[in-house]
Amino acid sequence: MALLEVEDVVAGYGAGPDILTGLSVTIEEGTSYCIVGPNGAGKSTLLRAIAGFLKPRAGEVRLDGVLMNGSRPDQMLAAGICFVPQDASLFPMMTVRENLAMGGYLVNDRALLRQRMDMVYETFPILAERRGQNAGTLSGGEQQMVTLGRALMIEPRVVMIDEPSLGLAPMIADQIFEKIRGFGALGITVVLVEQNAVKGLENVDWGIVLDLGSKDFEGPADGILADPRIRELYLGKTMSKGMT
Amino acid sequence: MAHWLQILVLGLLLGGVYAMMASGLTLLFGVMRVVNLAHAAFILIASYMTYALFEGLTLDPMISLFVTMPLMFGLGVGLYLLLFPRLEESPRYVEMTVLLTFGLALIVEGLLTFTFTGTFRSVRPEYASTSIMIGDLFVPTSQLYASLISFALLILLWVFLRFTKTGTAIRATMQNRAAAQIVGVNVRRISALSFGLGMSLAGAAGSLLSFMFPFFPARHWQWIALLLALIVLGGMGSIKGAVIGALLLAVASAFVTDLVGPTWSPITFYLTLFLILMVRPQGLFGAKVRL
Repeated sequence: MALLEVEDVVAGYGAGPDILTGLSVTIEEGTSYCIVGPNGAGKSTLLRAIAGFLKPRAGEVRLDGVLMNGSRPDQMLAAGICFVPQDASLFPMMTVRENLAMGGYLVNDRALLRQRMDMVYETFPILAERRGQNAGTLSGGEQQMVTLGRALMIEPRVVMIDEPSLGLAPMIADQIFEKIRGFGALGITVVLVEQNAVKGLENVDWGIVLDLGSKDFEGPADGILADPRIRELYLGKTMSKGMT
Repeated sequence: MAHWLQILVLGLLLGGVYAMMASGLTLLFGVMRVVNLAHAAFILIASYMTYALFEGLTLDPMISLFVTMPLMFGLGVGLYLLLFPRLEESPRYVEMTVLLTFGLALIVEGLLTFTFTGTFRSVRPEYASTSIMIGDLFVPTSQLYASLISFALLILLWVFLRFTKTGTAIRATMQNRAAAQIVGVNVRRISALSFGLGMSLAGAAGSLLSFMFPFFPARHWQWIALLLALIVLGGMGSIKGAVIGALLLAVASAFVTDLVGPTWSPITFYLTLFLILMVRPQGLFGAKVRL
């Protein structure tokens, strides 16, 4: 059974039009994914609908075969689905350590949290140096590391990361991607959304291309990157629209 | 010299009560981005409850805190759950909540006038008209008691927010609501709780004000204007700012009263507010929040 199944999901914001128009994707445990597509294709909306931030208007979201539609974000998180939104979403007036501790909000075992925090500091040594500093004073890359480290505090089964490289210098973005690649070894299934499609696909196993709110194409990431025809059809379009 | 000290002490005593009133209001703004225009009207509800308890049961106003605080907490949670969740999805959330709380203030005022008429009321326990001398300092007993209770409640609030898990979740929600949701905070539960907390502080304030100043149902407009000035000065959503702003303005207005006369005291608030906002538009401790 697939870990996460999204079936014919229709979703949109407020009274607005449907952004997702009957989208189906399947996420298998242990595979890493990158969702690519032009602006407005519904990449972020898909993540929000899975994470419980947006109630699907139709269709089903299933985790281990159990229907999860209409669950609140905290319930999805408790079920192991962690969402990292694109605007390094942290607590600016709390220290790095307090921010990480908030990541374990749903966990009550203090010893376990301490252990996980040490693990996060091992993964992101810079955060150990900055632990007493207010998160709002960190650089963009460091803030992104706080949000990723905070996600590790809950030991999620799936972490869905929206545009991890947004606003970061290429070198810093590469460091972030390297950390994300390491999540697989921790038993965490990674789902990325990336505007920079080539960069995103280079760092995952499987690519899913969205357009106009539904799935256009999916396949092994290296296959997508290697096939000049697909590259032109999907990534060329993605890239050119992404540039505007 | 002793005279200035006297003015300072009187200002600080009054400021303590203002600080508690303002911290409830700023807490609500911080967590929910709601400017609760009915906050002072809710304070008045508690004043009238205290009045009724005193007249009916001769219950000491300071004891009636144990009645008004939990009742107002319950009222706050109830009102929140009844009225606010349905507005949260709305793109006009801020405008709607301003109208909603303005309407609530009018309703409360109407109900109070209907029940208690528009006449001035005051609660007169024995200590309302006594004073004590500390050295050369003259201290009205009522203000001393009210201020001590206010500071005690503020310290409790601080300990709660700083050291408990739920308190930390409230602070996190104040700093970044979306991020709080990301880490699994049930922000609706936290909002309801904060509304209750803010209202119970209003309850305490109402009980204390009942024996400090005479009141009538329309009195809340005057209070809310003052409270809004305090929380804007401190920085919207900053409890530390609200407390310091309240003490600062209360002391300033005490000095103005002494130097130029009581007619000029209310305007001190708004003048200080204008002057400080010219230099720091986000208030003393405010982050630059977007509504």
